[in-house]
Amino acid sequence: MAAALALLAACLTPGLAVAPARAAGDDTTLTVAVLTDVDSFNPFVGIKATSFEMWALTYDYMIGYSMKDMSPQPGLATSWDTSDDGLTWTFHIRDGVTWSDGEPLTAADIAYTYNRIIDGGPEAATWGSYLTGADSITAPDAETVLLKLKKPLATLPLLPIPIVPEHIWKDVSEKDVKTYKAEPEDGQPVVGSGPFRLVSGEASGSTYEFDANPDYWGGAPHIDHVVFRVYKSEDPAVQGLKKGEVDFVDGITPLQVQALQGEPGITAQNGDSPGFDEIAFNTGAADPETGKPIGDGNPALQDPKFRHALGWGMDLDQLIAKVYQGAGQAGTTIVPPTYSNWRWDPPADELMTYDPDKAGRLLDEAGYLMGDDGLRTMPDGSPIGKLRLFARADSMGDISLNTMDYFKEWLGDLGIDSEVTAMQSNKLTSVILDGDFDAFQWGWYVEPDPNSMLSYMTCGQRGNWSDSWYCNDAYDALYDQQQLELDRDKRIEMVKQMQQMLYEDSPYLVTAYNTIGEAFRSDRFACLVQQPNPGGIWLFQYGVYNYLNMRPADEAGDCGGDAGATKATSAGSDGSVSTEMMIGLGAAAVVVIGAGGILLMRRRATEADRE
Amino acid sequence: MTLAAADPAAAAAEAGEPRRRGGGYRRYALGKVLGALGSLVFMLVVNFFLFRVLPGDPARTLGRGRLSTPEQIAEFNKTYGLDQPVLQQFLTFLDNTVHGDLGYSILYHRDVSEVLVERMWPTLLLVGTSTVLAALIGVWLGIRAGWDRASRFDRFTTGGSLTLYSMPEWWLGLLLIAAFAVGIGPLPGLFPTGGLHSVDADPSSLSGVLDTAWHLTLPVITLTLAYLADYALIMRGSLIDELRSDYLTTARAKGLRDALVRDRHAVPNALLPTTTVVALNFGFVVAGAITIETIFSIPGLGLLTTDALQVPDYWLLQGVFMLSSAAVITANLAANLLYGLLDPRVRT
Repeated sequence: MAAALALLAACLTPGLAVAPARAAGDDTTLTVAVLTDVDSFNPFVGIKATSFEMWALTYDYMIGYSMKDMSPQPGLATSWDTSDDGLTWTFHIRDGVTWSDGEPLTAADIAYTYNRIIDGGPEAATWGSYLTGADSITAPDAETVLLKLKKPLATLPLLPIPIVPEHIWKDVSEKDVKTYKAEPEDGQPVVGSGPFRLVSGEASGSTYEFDANPDYWGGAPHIDHVVFRVYKSEDPAVQGLKKGEVDFVDGITPLQVQALQGEPGITAQNGDSPGFDEIAFNTGAADPETGKPIGDGNPALQDPKFRHALGWGMDLDQLIAKVYQGAGQAGTTIVPPTYSNWRWDPPADELMTYDPDKAGRLLDEAGYLMGDDGLRTMPDGSPIGKLRLFARADSMGDISLNTMDYFKEWLGDLGIDSEVTAMQSNKLTSVILDGDFDAFQWGWYVEPDPNSMLSYMTCGQRGNWSDSWYCNDAYDALYDQQQLELDRDKRIEMVKQMQQMLYEDSPYLVTAYNTIGEAFRSDRFACLVQQPNPGGIWLFQYGVYNYLNMRPADEAGDCGGDAGATKATSAGSDGSVSTEMMIGLGAAAVVVIGAGGILLMRRRATEADRE
Repeated sequence: MTLAAADPAAAAAEAGEPRRRGGGYRRYALGKVLGALGSLVFMLVVNFFLFRVLPGDPARTLGRGRLSTPEQIAEFNKTYGLDQPVLQQFLTFLDNTVHGDLGYSILYHRDVSEVLVERMWPTLLLVGTSTVLAALIGVWLGIRAGWDRASRFDRFTTGGSLTLYSMPEWWLGLLLIAAFAVGIGPLPGLFPTGGLHSVDADPSSLSGVLDTAWHLTLPVITLTLAYLADYALIMRGSLIDELRSDYLTTARAKGLRDALVRDRHAVPNALLPTTTVVALNFGFVVAGAITIETIFSIPGLGLLTTDALQVPDYWLLQGVFMLSSAAVITANLAANLLYGLLDPRVRT
């Protein structure tokens, strides 16, 4: 015991003298706490949100996103034209862009990256859907990319695909792609053209370090380093922010945001997330090939009128207040308000509000009359039975389970019996695919182009990504039509029409538009802009605007004239004890305890000997 | 397949041999080693099927919102060999395992063995150090408390260690973070809020080692406090059992000092149950400490398991399971062998 303590003390004592290496000089380092790790730095295999942020810093994209509403804007391509039939797209590529190893980045690199994807194989998994129907992609000269399609693709020019260097990747064969790491090697950063360079870090590691690219074509960043630190739970990350160990935390709860808003030197918000939460129904699970019904969904839920009536019985305002702690908005359609262009807002006479009487009336009209036992019956008089509601046991802050508990209560008010079961999302997925459910709670993130979200509600996706088993030929026809429509305004009209269809048929009752809790040290950094502006999030956006725009608080000025950007605040309680001092104090504490222990043992020993 | 065929033979060797009295330590040890090998083979088979019955489909978990067509999902399954019949996958698994290939993690896109080695060190450091410290301190406390039973020290230690034992580990961890990492009042934050090392520390240099020790201080203290009761109470209990023994009276009658009676006579006999517990707990070291690893963001095997379960990443889970069960089996064997040495009675 004494020996162990002495040993430990001896190990730590040099800590008083040896200080850990610290970045010297006036370099500014932004330290971001992330709650999930990177699964791969290779853009063809990783899928976690953190990995996407790493690629966005490392690589460039041909097309970027606007801060206002995430609409397409120039990236590596400065402009683009479409042929009248929509089958040929010509992109004009920025001149003078170089890779971090000095090689020039040309249209050939872009064509090379895209061709790897349309050739199939593992590269197609994440990015293939953005190039659906591509016939050929060529680079006739260094500044032109020519994209030829078999049929028009309305989601273009949306191309959120990181461009990788051909001179590096040509040595990575297709079968090696899934094991290729794209991590720094021998102290050399990963070759990329983005605003930052990955200098250290590996998949599943716990820190990732980036250095600024001073020659970035979009202007050099105002900060010198970005470091991501993986925290595995929120509370310690929040403590780290308070102490000043990290400068930014993302993905914290509304309660933590509220607590941090009172801290000096910290700015916190719940930013609108580009996603929604919903209650989904089993609208009639069927084998997509044969059309034969599968599973044991309740027949009442196959009636759109029944489902829609339930929407009037849901008190979403209470849900937002109680379950989401007020951080969110009541939901309506599957395109969240963050995408103002694409979104269909239900007009006042159609907007479902909390009106149990109206819900009851609609159910009566549809034939689901109240029986003598206080429970509604099917139109033929048979009992509806107990609806099986499922919640995800692993959802953040129990949102899923709490939502379904409320839903059970609201159903009860309407005279419909139900029971709630919570299970792991993995298990729930199998239940959904077997069609053995009546309703469940889940959520989706929606991309800046709603195409893929809309596709999940088509007949063809049953047994695949459709989880409500919704199938409506009119909807499918519109879906195919909008995919080919090149006139953006006309396409938006169709997308709105589709949202209206879904709103009325209610395969989903959208419960909430979620938010993402974020906080940062505004006494150290300023000039962050929300995306969408206003109301959106600060980091983990579409694009890397804020990493470029953000400045150290004392150099913020007017943020280059950016009016919507955050302002610097005065310093709060910083834990500005130097690392050396902390190590020293820590070691001293251990030494004191150790020495105390040894003394105590000695005294005991002599005491015993004296006896 | 050769390993699987050896299984009945191993079992027969253990069960079939008529046990002769006084067969000696060698026979005892041989039996235990063969038994351990049998368990190892059995574990290998269970390992594969255990995780295949988990609900969930990797293609759907990893592909949500990404693999939008059935063709893409088929391609994904083909890439990772998930489209083959389970029996075929099992044979591939056996073949690979025998050749030392633990497969490929579909979550991290790296070789499982590589991820395991990387994640094993933090866990060994954290849980290993805590187990050693808890065992040493716990045994010492147990001896003191048991010898002076019902003394103030005894009441304090037993009460204290039970309180710490019943306290949720994550809560204790969060309290320590709030007090010693962030700082309270005049007390500055002495330790980091999480992680295994500072961003710019080179783990191989002296300052890097110190930096890691600095990061591990709070988590090790938390775990040590939580584990303490295990050892303290068992040691206390077995020492109390010995207190009334005749040989202690004899020892005292010889005129030995109290401390000598305790250290030379009572403690060695009372140490047996504790030895078993210590040895067995060492087997569980590699299983990690999920809650503590989560709270202090230490990239160890415990966290790896939870991450892998969510997919489920079969290969990674198999690797972790194999590693931890092999460790438990080895520790068990070590405990048995040690016990055989310490106490001749168990050899029969």
